[in-house]
Amino acid sequence: MNYAMALDYQNCINCKACEVACKEENGVQLGADKQRIWVGVTEGSVFGNPFVNLYPSQCNHCIDAPCVSVCPTHASHYIDGGIVMVNPTKCILCKGCMEACPYDARFVDDTIVAVDKCTLCHHRIDEYGTTACQATCPTKVRLFGDLDDENSDLVKLLKKRKFFFLKEGEKTLPKLFYLVPEDENFLLRSVGKETKIHTWDEIKPIYDEAKAKRSKEWKKS
Amino acid sequence: MKVEISRRRFLQGSVALSVVGGTALGTTNILADTKESEDVKIRPTKKVPSLCEMCVNKCALIAQVRNGVVKKLDPNPLFPKSKNMLCARGDAGIHALYDPDRLKYPLIRSGKRGDGKYRRATWDEAYSFIKEKMVKILDEEKDNRSCIGYCAGEGMAEPTYKEFMAEKFGSSNFINHASICLQTAISGYALTIGGYGSADLDNAKYIIMAGANRAEAILTPDTMNLFKRTRGRGAKLVVVDPRFTNTAIHADTYVPIKVGTDLAFVLALTYVAIKNRLYNREFVEKNFDNFNIYKMHILESNYTPQWAEKITGVSAETIEKIAYDFMANAPESVYYQGRRSTWTSSDFQLRRAQAIFSALGGGIDIKGGIVFGKSLPLDKEEINSPIYANAQERIEKKAAAIIGSTGSWIAWRNMVAEGNTPYPIRGFFVYKQNPMLSVPNTKKTKQMLEKLDLVVVIDTMPSDTAMMADVILPECTYLEKEDPIRSFGGVEPAIVLRQKVIEPMYETKPVFDIMKGLAEVLTKPLWENTKKYDEDVQSDLKDEKDEQKYYKENGFDLTDMFGTSQEEMNKKMFVGKYGEKAWSDLRAKGVFYPNMDKYFKKIDNNTFEYYPENKKTYQIDKLLEKADKDAYLHDTCINPKEISELRKFFKTPSKKIECYLGNLKKKGIDAMPTWRAESYVEIPKGKFKFITGRHAQFTQDATQNNIMLLELMKENYAWINDKEAQKRGIEFGDEI
Repeated sequence: MNYAMALDYQNCINCKACEVACKEENGVQLGADKQRIWVGVTEGSVFGNPFVNLYPSQCNHCIDAPCVSVCPTHASHYIDGGIVMVNPTKCILCKGCMEACPYDARFVDDTIVAVDKCTLCHHRIDEYGTTACQATCPTKVRLFGDLDDENSDLVKLLKKRKFFFLKEGEKTLPKLFYLVPEDENFLLRSVGKETKIHTWDEIKPIYDEAKAKRSKEWKKS
Repeated sequence: MKVEISRRRFLQGSVALSVVGGTALGTTNILADTKESEDVKIRPTKKVPSLCEMCVNKCALIAQVRNGVVKKLDPNPLFPKSKNMLCARGDAGIHALYDPDRLKYPLIRSGKRGDGKYRRATWDEAYSFIKEKMVKILDEEKDNRSCIGYCAGEGMAEPTYKEFMAEKFGSSNFINHASICLQTAISGYALTIGGYGSADLDNAKYIIMAGANRAEAILTPDTMNLFKRTRGRGAKLVVVDPRFTNTAIHADTYVPIKVGTDLAFVLALTYVAIKNRLYNREFVEKNFDNFNIYKMHILESNYTPQWAEKITGVSAETIEKIAYDFMANAPESVYYQGRRSTWTSSDFQLRRAQAIFSALGGGIDIKGGIVFGKSLPLDKEEINSPIYANAQERIEKKAAAIIGSTGSWIAWRNMVAEGNTPYPIRGFFVYKQNPMLSVPNTKKTKQMLEKLDLVVVIDTMPSDTAMMADVILPECTYLEKEDPIRSFGGVEPAIVLRQKVIEPMYETKPVFDIMKGLAEVLTKPLWENTKKYDEDVQSDLKDEKDEQKYYKENGFDLTDMFGTSQEEMNKKMFVGKYGEKAWSDLRAKGVFYPNMDKYFKKIDNNTFEYYPENKKTYQIDKLLEKADKDAYLHDTCINPKEISELRKFFKTPSKKIECYLGNLKKKGIDAMPTWRAESYVEIPKGKFKFITGRHAQFTQDATQNNIMLLELMKENYAWINDKEAQKRGIEFGDEI
C-alpha cells in the first residue's frame, strides 16, 4: 500500500471545512497557527483583472521524507502505506523536522509538547476508506487512495488526468497530486512556468523505485 | 481590491490567536481523549444520523457518540440535497453543543433591561412569571391575543413555535427574517414565473450570479454543483458584485457594478435581447402574458447598454456580450435568483426583471434552467385552532403593498417603537433570533423592546436580544432534540429526520417542550379571560351547557397540540404514506426516498448517484397550475403557504410569465420593472456605500461564539478598494 491524495484544487472555494473536520477528527490543538491542513492563497492580476488561486494543502507524506531522515530520535517515522507519523513520546522538540519540511506542514502542539502533523486519518481508513478532509469537502477537492492499487479510484483518476507537485525540485517525491486544470486560462495563472506536468505512466516507475528503496522503514501501524 | 489574506501573512500576525477564546480548553474535542496512544483504535459506540442546523441548509450528518459524548460529526452521503458534505460550520457543531457560554437554566431578570443582570430560576418559576404577566396583559387588552407579538429565526422547529403562537394562542403579529432577507426575491419570482424554484446549477451552461456568493454563502446543492463545473468545465459563470468574492474568483467574467444599480443592468440585458430578437420566440409566444407591452416599455424607455453603462459603471460592450452569450446558451441559462435580496427599494422590481429576462431564454421549468421539481408528501398534523373574536389583524398590514404572513420587521418595529399602533403591543416572544443585531437600527429595536411589559427570549445562546428579556428560556441545541420531520422537494426530493443525538444538557429543553409547558400553565387562566371578554364564546356558551366539552372541542385547550411526543407525531405523518418498514429505515439512515435502496449508488468516495437521470424531476407538467403547493418545499426559509397566499392575493390571472401586473398598479407599484432614477441615491464623491456579505465560516451572529470558527476568522474585516485605501493611508489590518 502506498497512500496518496489527488487534489482537484480548482474546485476549492476556501470554505475551510477541511480545516475544521481535521481538527475535530484528530483533536488537533486549537489555534489559528495549529493546522494540519490549510489552503494556500496567492493573488495577482492579468491586465488589471484580479485573480486568486487557492492551493489546498497538507503534509505530502513524501516517499523520501527529509523530516524522517533528519529526526534524531526516530520520533518521525513511516507507518504502513508510507504515512509519515510522529511519535510524541520520542519527540524532543528539536524542530529539525520543521526546518527540513519543504511544505511547512509541521507545528508544535503545546498540549502534548511535541511536533504534530497530518496522519492521513490513518485511524479511520479501514472504516471509512478516506480521510476526514475528503469526506467533508463540499466541492470534493480531494481523492484519497492507494497508488499501488491499479484499480483504485485514485489511480484511475491519475491515469486520466495530468498532474503536478508543489516544490517538486526538493526531490522528496511528494504524494499530493495536483490535477492539471482543463481550462487553459486557469492553468496559465495557477501553474508556474517551471512546474513540470506529469502523467501516470511516466511517474509510476520513478515512484515505485523510490518506494522500493525506502519502504523497508514502513512499519505496520 | 484586498482579497482575504494568505496563510503566510495570516500566520505572521496571529500568534495571539493560539489562545483564542480564552478558555482553559487544550484540545478541540472538549472531552477528547484522542491523544491516546496510537495503537488504541478509536471506535465510537454509537452512530446517530441527524441534520445540521448551523445554517439554513439542513445537511445530513452522522454523529459519533461515545459514552454519551458527541465526538465527531460526519457527513451523511444519503441526502441528495447535501451530497455528502459538512462545511466548516457543520463540522464545528460540536462546539455549539459544548459551548461553555450556553444558556443552561431559565433566567429571570433581576436588574434593569439591558444591564444583563439575571437570576437563575426553575422552569416553574419562569412559567409562572410569564403566566402572571400574560394574564394581566390580556385582561387589560380584553383578550386581544394580538397584543403579544412574536418573532423567530429560521429553523426546523420554527413551525412548532409559530403554529402554537398563531393557531393556538391566537396572535396575528408574527415576524421573521424574510422581510429583511429574501422576501423580495420570493415575491418577485412567485408573482412573475409562479414560484421561486431553484436554479439547476448541475446542468446550466451559463449562469449570471449577481450579488449572490455561493462560495461563501453556502447553499445546498447549488454550491456543490456549481464549483465542480466552473473554469471551462461546462458552466460559464458571470459574477456581478461590487466585491471580489470567493465566487468571483471562479468567474469567467467578473463584473464589478456600482452598488444598487442591478436593475439598470438587467433592464439593459433585456433591451439587448429584445431589440436584437435574441429571445426564445416560441417560448415567449406560448408562455408570456403581455409580452408586447413589456417589449414596448423596454424599447421606448430606451434601456440601452449605453444608458446602463452610465448608471452601473459596466461597459456597454460587456452588457451586450453577456446578453448575447446568455441567449446563445439558453434555455440552459440562469439569471440566479439570489437570496438575501432586500437591498434597495427597487429590489422587488429587480427580481421581476431577472425572472422575465431568464424566461426570455426559455429557461423556466426545464433542465439547466430554473426548475421546480417535486416533493414527497407527508401527512398533515391537524391543529384544532380556536377562534378569538377579539384578536385583531396584524398592526403593520397597511405598511407596504405586500405584507405576507411573516410581516415586515422594520415597519412592525417602528410602529411599536413610535407608539404608532392601532392597538397596544404589550409583550414579545423571541425564538432563535437576535433582532438587536439583525434588524437595522439597533437603537430603535432597543426602544421597541423597552416599551414592552413582557419580553421572553427562547434561545441556545445569550445574545444582545436576550439581554433585553424579562425571562430567558434555554433551548437545547439541534443535537439534543427531535424536530418535525421534513420533506425537501426539488429535482431529487427526499424526506429527512433530525433525531436526538444525546439527551438535552443542563436544564435545557426542545422548543416543543417549552411551548408545551407554556400551554399547560396558560390554557386555563387565558380561557377564563376569553370567557370574560369574548362575546362569541359567551353567546355559544349560553347554548352549550358542557363548558369543558366546548373548551376542548373548539380548540381553546392550548395543550391539545402537544398531545403526543414529537417522535410519535413524526411517525404519524410518515407511516400513512410510506409504511412501517420505511419508517424504521428512515430512523436508521436519517434519509428516505422511494426506491433509495435501488437508486442510491456510490461511484467513488466523492461521487454518489441518488436518482437515475430519467427519474429526476426537471420538469413538471403544467407548471404554473400545479406548482402552488408542494414544489417549493426545498427550503426552510421559503414558506409555501406564503407563496400561495401571495399568488391568490394578486391573482396572477394568466398562469403564464407575468410581464404586467395590473393589480400592483392599483397599489401604487409599477406594473412592470422600471428604473426610477429618483429613488437611486448616487454615491457622493469621496464617500462609500456600506454593503455586507457573508463568509463561509459564520452564519450571521448565531455562530459568533464558536471557538472553532473563531480561529478561522477572528475578526470580521471591512473591505475597501485598494486605491481608495491607499489615498487614505489605510493599511491592511488597520482598525478603522
